[in-house]
Amino acid sequence: MNIIEIKNLTKIYDKETIPVYALNNVSISFQSGEFTTIVGPSGSGKTTLLNMLGGLDKPTEGEIIIDHINITKLRSRQLIDFRLRNIGFVFQSFNLIPVLTAKENVEFIMQLQGTPKGLRENRTNELLRSVGLGDRVDARPNKLSGGQQQRVAVARALASKPKFILADEPTANLDSKSAENLLEIMEQLNKEENITFIFSTHDARVVAKARRIVTLEDGKIVSDIAK
Amino acid sequence: MIPKIAFKNVWRNKERSLIVIIAITLALTGGIFTASIMTGMVDQKFRSGINNEVSHIQIHNPDFLKNYEPQYSIVSADSLAEVISRMPDVKSVAVRTRVPGMISSPNAASGVQIIGINPEKEKKVTQLYKTICDSCGVYFTGPRKNPILVSKRVADKLKVRLKSKVVIRFQNTDGNISEAAFSVTGIYQTSNNAFDDANIFVRSNDFNNITGSMIKPHEIAILLTDIDNLPEVQSALKQKFPGLDVENWQEIQPEMGLITSAISLEIYIILGIILLALAFGIVNTMLMIVFERTRELGMLMAVGMSKARIFSMIMLETILLTFIGGIIGMVLSAFLINIFHKHGIDMSSVSRGLGAFGFDPKIYPFITKTFYLNLSVMILSTGILSAIIPARKALKLKPVEAIRIE
Repeated sequence: MNIIEIKNLTKIYDKETIPVYALNNVSISFQSGEFTTIVGPSGSGKTTLLNMLGGLDKPTEGEIIIDHINITKLRSRQLIDFRLRNIGFVFQSFNLIPVLTAKENVEFIMQLQGTPKGLRENRTNELLRSVGLGDRVDARPNKLSGGQQQRVAVARALASKPKFILADEPTANLDSKSAENLLEIMEQLNKEENITFIFSTHDARVVAKARRIVTLEDGKIVSDIAK
Repeated sequence: MIPKIAFKNVWRNKERSLIVIIAITLALTGGIFTASIMTGMVDQKFRSGINNEVSHIQIHNPDFLKNYEPQYSIVSADSLAEVISRMPDVKSVAVRTRVPGMISSPNAASGVQIIGINPEKEKKVTQLYKTICDSCGVYFTGPRKNPILVSKRVADKLKVRLKSKVVIRFQNTDGNISEAAFSVTGIYQTSNNAFDDANIFVRSNDFNNITGSMIKPHEIAILLTDIDNLPEVQSALKQKFPGLDVENWQEIQPEMGLITSAISLEIYIILGIILLALAFGIVNTMLMIVFERTRELGMLMAVGMSKARIFSMIMLETILLTFIGGIIGMVLSAFLINIFHKHGIDMSSVSRGLGAFGFDPKIYPFITKTFYLNLSVMILSTGILSAIIPARKALKLKPVEAIRIE
């Protein structure tokens, strides 16, 4: 079942002066439970595509339909709420809230959603255990290693029970052991809990784990290979 | 959730937050303490004015107030005073005779207002008796004939001491000049030089003996149990005695009311300026904080934190920062004011200048609860106003750009 459907997506920067096509008439769909990576050289449009998918940026033309909702038509306020309830984000530089503990960082998303306290606490503990941080719940980000911080970020992305998780270069700032460990956790979550992951990456280890590889070049899909 | 994060964010950079808090604390402590000195001065002047000079309400013959001519007296003043003293909210009543005249010694002479009083009744209305120091004689007690109470300034001018003889002269109601010798039995000193220069006190009985009871009382001074009841009592007196002029302290000495309200306004203006200056510092700090946290704010927006929540968070952080400094400033100033209120601040070095304006050289600073309440509102407003620019700056961030800022 397709959960994301992208139709004729185009993003042009500097439309008025010298138009730059970050995405050029891209059409693609993603199914529930995919473990997909988007690859391509710098400037190929990977990040732009991920930003569009995450509702962080508006396309110049085209449609993005997520679970029957055309998010390109949503207003700014609706998009914020849509992101909160449907999309999980994992960023390259972790982006945890430094003043909150690992537990509070994960719980925070559910607080924004208005989840009751009891449910929040149970799910937070469960998620942190599932990423192997059951014993570091009260640690603040500065007391955690890069790999541990990124695992908290994954738990946070899962907290809202999103339809899919967008991970932009999630292993870029990690050493190889941490990257490996993180990928194993994400792969396990994907297989066991059918969570959809869409990565943008340069990392060969991520590409190796992916079951579908979409290659972009000059804003166009040049290959889409399912393993 | 938002308050918790905001509170934690305030302490994220402890050094910077402490600098801002200390700046607010010191500025407010200084401002509030200065305000307390001004309030203390004005309050003392007000109390001294009420207690030593005007009381709460005075009644006169309307014509007397035009030129202070002795023939315009109050008919049956003593009986009226008796009636007034039985009215509700009236604490005490004193009847006075006021005549312009001269006081002279073998060395000098001075123009004064000769005030004839009933010492015991006057004692219940004014606190003149308290302004006589231990070595400065007594307040109309003892067997001495024709005692007179003069101020230290008049005594110095006439070069007289206790037991010295002085002569008072004044025009009687028949146009003739009356005069009599008096003996200085007490020397008083208030904080108001102008009052001290102008007034000497004799007993009404002695005064009547000189004038042959031709000069009747001109003034009924009334002290109330509570100044808050003044409008009702004044209105009742006006209704009761329509032919007489019933004035309250503010009407008798408008400058006293003017100083009270002007100083009060000045205090708020000074604190307003202090808070405005602080607001610029707070805005600068908060803008720096927003700039430093651009990526984090972008992340918060990306993961679904609404603009209203982002705005509230920055607002709350600014308000907390301002209010922590504000509260410490208020507590510290209250502590200082409490100490200095007990012991007073001796301003004798400038007392000549202060006395000329009727201020006491020893100032007991104090601040009302209402002032603190108003100040809290002012601090809160400063926090809110200072937060608007940084909070708007945060709202203008685009998550797609903000999350990539290094």
